[in-house]
Formats: sequence, C-alpha cells, structure tokens
Amino acid sequence: MSAAVRTVAAPAVAARRGEALAGAVAAEWTRLVSIRTTWWTLLAGVLLMAATSAQLAIYAQNSNTSADPTDDRGIVTAGSVAIDALDLTQYAVLALGLLAITTEFTSGTIRSTLTATPSRGTVLAAKAVVTGAVTFAYGLLLGLIGVAVAVPVLGPWGRTPVAATVGDVLAVAAYLALVGVLALGLGAVLRSAVLTLIVLLAVLMIVPLSLQEPDITVLTRIADGFPGVAGRHFMTGDGDPYPAVVGLLVLAGWAAAALAAGRWALRRRDA
Amino acid sequence: MITLRGLTKRFGPVTAVDDLTVDIAPGRVTGFLGPNGAGKSTTMRMVLGLDAPTAGRALVAGRPYRELRRPLHEVGALLDARAVHPARSGRAHLLALARSNGIPGRRVDEVLALAGLDDRAAAKPGRALSLGMAQRLGIAGALLGDPPVLMFDEPVNGLDPDGVRWIRELTGRLAAEGRTVLVSSHLMSEMEQTAGHLVVIGRGRLIADAPVGELLATGGSVRVRGPQPEGLSRLAARLTAEGAAVDGDGAGGFTVTGVTAGRVGDLAYELGVVLHELTPVTATLEQAFMELTADAVEYASGVAR
Repeated sequence: MSAAVRTVAAPAVAARRGEALAGAVAAEWTRLVSIRTTWWTLLAGVLLMAATSAQLAIYAQNSNTSADPTDDRGIVTAGSVAIDALDLTQYAVLALGLLAITTEFTSGTIRSTLTATPSRGTVLAAKAVVTGAVTFAYGLLLGLIGVAVAVPVLGPWGRTPVAATVGDVLAVAAYLALVGVLALGLGAVLRSAVLTLIVLLAVLMIVPLSLQEPDITVLTRIADGFPGVAGRHFMTGDGDPYPAVVGLLVLAGWAAAALAAGRWALRRRDA
Repeated sequence: MITLRGLTKRFGPVTAVDDLTVDIAPGRVTGFLGPNGAGKSTTMRMVLGLDAPTAGRALVAGRPYRELRRPLHEVGALLDARAVHPARSGRAHLLALARSNGIPGRRVDEVLALAGLDDRAAAKPGRALSLGMAQRLGIAGALLGDPPVLMFDEPVNGLDPDGVRWIRELTGRLAAEGRTVLVSSHLMSEMEQTAGHLVVIGRGRLIADAPVGELLATGGSVRVRGPQPEGLSRLAARLTAEGAAVDGDGAGGFTVTGVTAGRVGDLAYELGVVLHELTPVTATLEQAFMELTADAVEYASGVAR
C-alpha cells in the first residue's frame, strides 16, 4: 500500500512542494502581522533611523571646517549617512528575523507549525521568504527615511546625486534583507532570542571591530570576511579590498550558510 | 488508522517508549491510558513526526507523517493546548494553520463555533486564554482539516464539567462518523465512559490492548458473606487451595478474586456452608488499571536490578 503511494512522478512532487511552500508562506505572513511586537519593532526601526541619521548628519556638518560651502561642496552624500546609520538601526531588522523562529520555540507553537507543515525545509524557506521580502521593503523605507532626514540637516554640505542615492537605498534594503535572513537561520540553530542576539552582535560588530587593527593587515583581511564588514564594503562600494559585488556575495554566503545550518538543526532535533 | 510497529524512543539512557506495536482502528474511541511518564505524549509526538523514533515506525493511513501532503486533512491533533503565542489571537493562530494547508478562512469560523468559542474569546491573545479555552482552541485546530484521524492528548484537562461532557460527546460523535479517535488520559473514570477500546501502557511498554469490557472483567471479584465464621474460613481455605486470592476474611465475609461466583457457590454447597450473599463485583477501570500497571512497574524494576 505504501509502496503504491510512494511512486509519484517527479513533476507531481515538485508541484506539491510548491503548493506546500505557498501555503507555508501565507501562514508565515499571517503569523508575522498578527502580533503587535512586529509593528512596534518596525516603528522602533523607523525612529532609530530618523534619529541616528539626523545625529550623523549633524556630526558631518559640525566637522566641516570650511566657512564657505560653495568652496567645498558635496563633502557627504545623504545616502552615506543612511548607510552609516545602519550600525544601530539594523537591530530592529535583526529582531524581526530572529523572533520569527525563536518565539515559536519559546511559546511551543513550533509543534503546531511543524504538524501543519511537516517539511522542516519548507517551514524555514517560508520564513526566509517572508522575512527577506518584508525586510527588503522595510529597508527601502528606512533608506528613504535616512536620506530624507539627512538632506535638510546637511544643508549645503550635503549632496544627493539621484542615481547614486537610489543605489544606496537599494543597497541598504538588500543588506537588511540578508542580515534579517542571517538572524532567522541563526535563531533556528540556537532557539533562544537572547543567545541569537549575542552571537549576531559578536559576528556583526564585536569580533570584526577588534580584528580591525590598522597595522595588522592579516587581521583586517580576516575581518573583511565577516558579514557586517562585507555588507559595508558592498554598500559603500569602496573597492578595498574587494569590489562591492564580492561584499554582497560574502554577505549572501553567510545568510545562506545560516539558513542551511538552521534547516539541518530543525531536521535533526526533535521539536 | 494509526499503525505503530516496534515503536521505540530512547532519550539517552531512558527508554520512554519501548517496542510498541499497536493498531488504532477507526470507528471507535480508543483510550490511551497510562500513568504520568508512561510515554503517551512521546508516542503521539512520534505519530506526528515531531520526535524521530529511535527504532520502529509510526504510520498514519499507511504512511509516515512527514510524507503527508496536507497533513491537517489527514490527522488532527491536540497536543499542548498552552502552545499559543502569548500575543497572537486564537483566531489568527488558527488562520495561520489553515492557510498552511490551503483551508479557507471561513472554516476557521466554523471550527471556532464547533468548539464553543465566540468572537470575543477568539479575539483574545494567547496569554489571556484560560486553560479550558486553550483546550477548546486546540480542539478547534485539530478539526480544521476535517481529518479522518484525531488524536487528543489529555483533552479534559482544565475543562469544567460542561466541557468534559462536550468532549465526551464530541469524541463519540467523531468515532461514530467512522474516524479514528485516540484520546489519552490518566483519568480512568473518564475513559470508562468515553472509550470503547483501551490501549494501556506503562513505562513505555504495552500492557493491554483490549475492549473496555474485557479489561473490566480481568479485575472482577466475588463478594461472599455468611453467618458461620468457621464455615467461611473453611470455604476461604478451599478457594485458596484452588488458586484464588481471598481478601479480608473477617467475621462477616470476604472478597475473592480469580474465581467465578458460580464456582464459589458450588464449593459452598459442597462444604455445607450457609451463604447470605454471593455477589460478582465488576471492577472499576481504575482498579483494573492499577492491577495492570502495578505488574508492569514490578516487572520493570525487576529488570533494572
């Protein structure tokens, strides 16, 4: 009996996987929007972005010693202010990514989730799709807010070239979507929100910062392999030590590795 | 139909479920009985693919759970009623489950009504639900896909008498519709009223798999009373010699197990003992259960030594 059931053609298997994923994505979307924490987190990120980019723009303006802006125009682009403001603002996005999975473990809902969608890979893929899409769209919004706040504060010392600014906003969105997915994958492995946040803090900030000794090139190169630093090279496009696209690929590699580890952990462990 | 074949789960040195082979048949309520820690919940979790068996298989309709395409249409389960996100409303909780299996949103309202949860209760966040309401929500979730197989883990926990009666009627009705209904409990009296068939486990091992009536008969005894203490003790001695167990042979009478009332009557006649009462006593399920699991516990500790 079971042998007869198992002989299903490959296209049918693919179709049913697609159907299961579509259902799981719809379920994840419902889960995300039905808790107030999501909306508070989004609001917190908006406020953080507005406050941080205003502050950074004021710094940029203050540190400009030229008395006549017409002599020395375009010292700072508004887009770069938005990018710098991410050091702080990204934690709202990280929270969104990791809470998508850790709350399932703390509240025990992971069992009903896995009962409804037994494929661990499908569950995590659905969470990654929703987290990635939401944080990308949210990243666009944050990027625009950062630019909109920076422009008037920078005043004559700011520069807003259209193409470059659009590029900066898109890069911010891509960066946030990837670190959001990284947080999700790590959360699936570690299961605890606090632990996940600590590891993220270490990987994104503490470890690379302590490695970036100006005189020791080897350590700086190692730091360049960390996701936060790679994301920065991608967004600023500084070309040192690698081009922007390599930065993007390194960051994407981290996110993909975290997801793969999360899938492995979900499959291997009892729920 | 739920099929367990040599199902075993070990957590380190502890064997939670030990070589369980049982078929849970459709069309009747099967009570899943055992003391706390007997392995009931672990067994149910393995059926749902949540825990991976150390050995053996758990199949639903002949297939492992993880292979089911839209599992809520095949199996409905209430495991841990408390497992609702503290900030998410009951309705949203059900809606997410429904969407994952392509079940339309109006079915959520149907099962909420079936479970006796009104709009106000369904809008409450998980943290505000009483245990009784959470149980009803969990049962609503189990019914979402209108599945032919249902598993309820301790469904009457936290329910008021009204709710207990509701569960009793609901499980009976679901079984009468031809579904497979497995209800776990440590409350024997509850099972006595709801289940037609019982699977009893202790320390992860199968102790009994039989109709309720049969299990009750195994614990049956005969009450004997008479006016002649001397005659009664002769009768007691004779019964003991025949292998029956005589209990409490005080002045007025005794209770004997392991023998039929007819045989006791025959012996009394043969010995010329006057009897005033000769009553077969049906054991309660609780007694039958205690007797069964006591053996299992002794056996298990004997092995451990």
